[in-house]
Amino acid sequence: MTEGPDRPVREAKNRLAGFNADRERLLAEVERRVVTRIVARAAAGGEAGLEYVLNDVCYSEIHRLEGQRSRGARAQLARWRNLAGRLIDMSEDQKRAELRDLVRHYGKDVVGNFDTRVYRFANDVLPAALGFLMSPVGSLKDGFRAMNELDARIRVEGELELLHECAERGTLVITPTHSSNMDSVVIGYALERAGLPPVTYGAGKNLFSNPFISFFMRNLGAYRVDRRLRFQLYKDILKEYSTVLLENGYHSLFFPGGTRCRSNIVERNVKLGLLGTAVTAYRNNAKTVGPQRRIYVVPTTINYRLVLEAETLIDDFLAETGKSRYIIDDDEFSRIGRILEFVRKILAHEGSVVIRLGRPIDVFGNDVDDAGESIDRRGRRVDPASFVRGADGVVVDDDQRDEEYTRMLGKRLGEAFPRETVLHGTHLAARALWDHVTAAVGSRDIYRVLRAPGSLLVVPYDRAVAGVSALMLRVAGDRDAGRLHHDVAGHPPDQVLDDAVRGLGTYHTRPVVERHGDLIAVREPRLLYYYQNRTAHIAERASRTSASPGRP
Amino acid sequence: MSRADTLGIVGAGRFGTALASVVARAGRRVIIWSRDRAVVDEIERDRRCSRMPEAPIPPSLTATTDPARLAAEARMIVLAVASTDIAERAREVGEVVDGSHLLVHAIGALASPDDARCSEVVAAATPCLRLGVLAGPAMALDLALGQFASMVIASRFDEVVAEGRRLLNAPPMLRVYGSHDLIGVELASALSGVYTIGLGLADALAVGPGSRAVLITRALAEASRLGAAMGADARTFAGLAGLGNLLVRAGGAPSAEYDQGRRLLQAVTPAERDATEGARAAVAGVRLARRAGVRMPLLEGIAAVLTGAASAKDAARLAADTVAAEE
Repeated sequence: MTEGPDRPVREAKNRLAGFNADRERLLAEVERRVVTRIVARAAAGGEAGLEYVLNDVCYSEIHRLEGQRSRGARAQLARWRNLAGRLIDMSEDQKRAELRDLVRHYGKDVVGNFDTRVYRFANDVLPAALGFLMSPVGSLKDGFRAMNELDARIRVEGELELLHECAERGTLVITPTHSSNMDSVVIGYALERAGLPPVTYGAGKNLFSNPFISFFMRNLGAYRVDRRLRFQLYKDILKEYSTVLLENGYHSLFFPGGTRCRSNIVERNVKLGLLGTAVTAYRNNAKTVGPQRRIYVVPTTINYRLVLEAETLIDDFLAETGKSRYIIDDDEFSRIGRILEFVRKILAHEGSVVIRLGRPIDVFGNDVDDAGESIDRRGRRVDPASFVRGADGVVVDDDQRDEEYTRMLGKRLGEAFPRETVLHGTHLAARALWDHVTAAVGSRDIYRVLRAPGSLLVVPYDRAVAGVSALMLRVAGDRDAGRLHHDVAGHPPDQVLDDAVRGLGTYHTRPVVERHGDLIAVREPRLLYYYQNRTAHIAERASRTSASPGRP
Repeated sequence: MSRADTLGIVGAGRFGTALASVVARAGRRVIIWSRDRAVVDEIERDRRCSRMPEAPIPPSLTATTDPARLAAEARMIVLAVASTDIAERAREVGEVVDGSHLLVHAIGALASPDDARCSEVVAAATPCLRLGVLAGPAMALDLALGQFASMVIASRFDEVVAEGRRLLNAPPMLRVYGSHDLIGVELASALSGVYTIGLGLADALAVGPGSRAVLITRALAEASRLGAAMGADARTFAGLAGLGNLLVRAGGAPSAEYDQGRRLLQAVTPAERDATEGARAAVAGVRLARRAGVRMPLLEGIAAVLTGAASAKDAARLAADTVAAEE
């Protein structure tokens, strides 16, 4: 296992370099598959009929556009109303032609780009620029030194050697936890520093609203996902595009939690939509090019000492408006000043962000050995293609079977995330303080804590140190609880606490906690709750164990 | 016949042999794997099995001591062994199967020492992912004699259910229903053995038909609660694997659990504690319920009698004293 930020000697091939030349072919393949499947399904009649498919698109688009006042939106609205009105009189040939046009239209909207010049610029110039931004203003000398320190600020660790092996042999699907809109930027940087190839990924269309960010996202392999489009045809196109990318060997990234985690609890229940495309892609490859074309899923955690959008996210979580505010486009990420603040304040600390790339698993949730071969729970090699084979040894299409495999894969990922989580001092300190405060309030219910008088939100310094110390011991002794950040492991608990209190007191609009002599006062219980939530899986495990009489 | 059309069975005990006999009589090829050379020779040479002499052995039923032959000739394999043997047998099967095999167990119990469901044991010991369970009120003797019987095959995979129904259905002797509720069918089947012990004990205490009916309905209710807490569908417990199993075993058919329950009125010997699958499931079930935080007074009462922690009469009194809540 390779740990730390040292750049590996060997670098995996950048397959995205050939993407632009491949793009039309990929898009045509997506179009062919989606149209063929829908037309075949339509032959059964009823609600699978083309009229229903097209009507679903019209209804959804009209609904979306009705509230918009721009001239462009009004023109689009008229087009959709016109189509909806014509549907009843259209022949089957005309409906098929319309379907093809729509698939191409949305496919073009989705499909990404990869510009090697932008990639080189992003990797060579941006880190230096970020480093410079982190330096104290006015000190050019310090600024140049800081350029070289970005590696220390964003730390990459995990199974890097094995991942190189797997990246050469097959296709990687990086599946990180998701806390911040900075995630895709940070992980793109991290993969490059680890000598791993760049990945393509689906990014919310709202993120493309910032021209600067849009330029980089567009040209670094991101494809656009418009979450406002809820109709089935669009979902089919997205899934097929992802499937085709994987089949063609393009390393990909999915955030299996879906959107950014509002609560900061390590994701346990993952969304299966895009994840399922990895199973389908493997099956399709096993059928056409052979079972040796492997796909590896990499459980990955992105662990921030402080999270850029913590205030918005936790407010959204507490207001239980997560669904209605599915697309937040007025949060900290959209304000360029806050991004600079992120760079200057959040990345100011060594190891502020740790990206941990866990041991890859195959698309059926099996572990792999050091050569990238799938192994069963007894450690014996298994042929992954056997899971999609029928009685006569031929690979068989079976969507229900593959959905079940995807569910099993999601479960494995959900189990891996807590284990691969790197706990910063901020998480441990927040948990220790939270435990004390909730004991004083008499409830772990956040809403009760928010209503509690300030006198109950004060923790004696010694008790906080003892709490941090106990948590450090628990995490160090339990492999499934996660890992201690290198600034925490082996360090005195009081030092860990002091450092965390400094961090929690500096970045957010109001200090989360403040030290006053022998006391630590909690100023922002909602943010304390947010940061301590990163350790929630430790409590869950503890309560499960205590409910198991007769077990050690 | 092809590998797809051949059913493999692990274990030439009473149930395994009776099931093999029914399926073979329906014209399908069946291969039984047993480690007991004498039993295999008897089936191959004499076309009978002394463990289940009532079961005819048609020509399409073969037996082998070679597990590799079983895996090579059958894609779907039913493990019909005792819960105490499942870990070892699954390990042996795990040496010869690959990911394309469909493995189904027919064990109405929880596996020791971890109180695991048997499908979990099979998953840990083999490379197979497509797993299922076969359960229901089909007594071995009924199958051997060609009586009408029904079972349910449950798996999260449509393919396992469909293949199981295709290979096992042998109407009118055996009808096989399908379900996706793997956890529910496994738990219902295991717990029905426990409650059969309870019914045997109730009959020994000469309770009236009303009390008996209460016992059955409350048993189903608490088993459903545990099932729901573990991710099962509560309705499964009213189906073949739950209520069906309970009614047949407590309704006059020969049942080791029912007989054990009747004997519980006398002093319980240490050997009695794990004499049957139902008794083993009682103790394991209590641990599972505690871990899941589910209150199961009947199960706890039966386990207490089995372990000698309470007398039969005390347990009956405790169960009767349980505070009634919303049904």
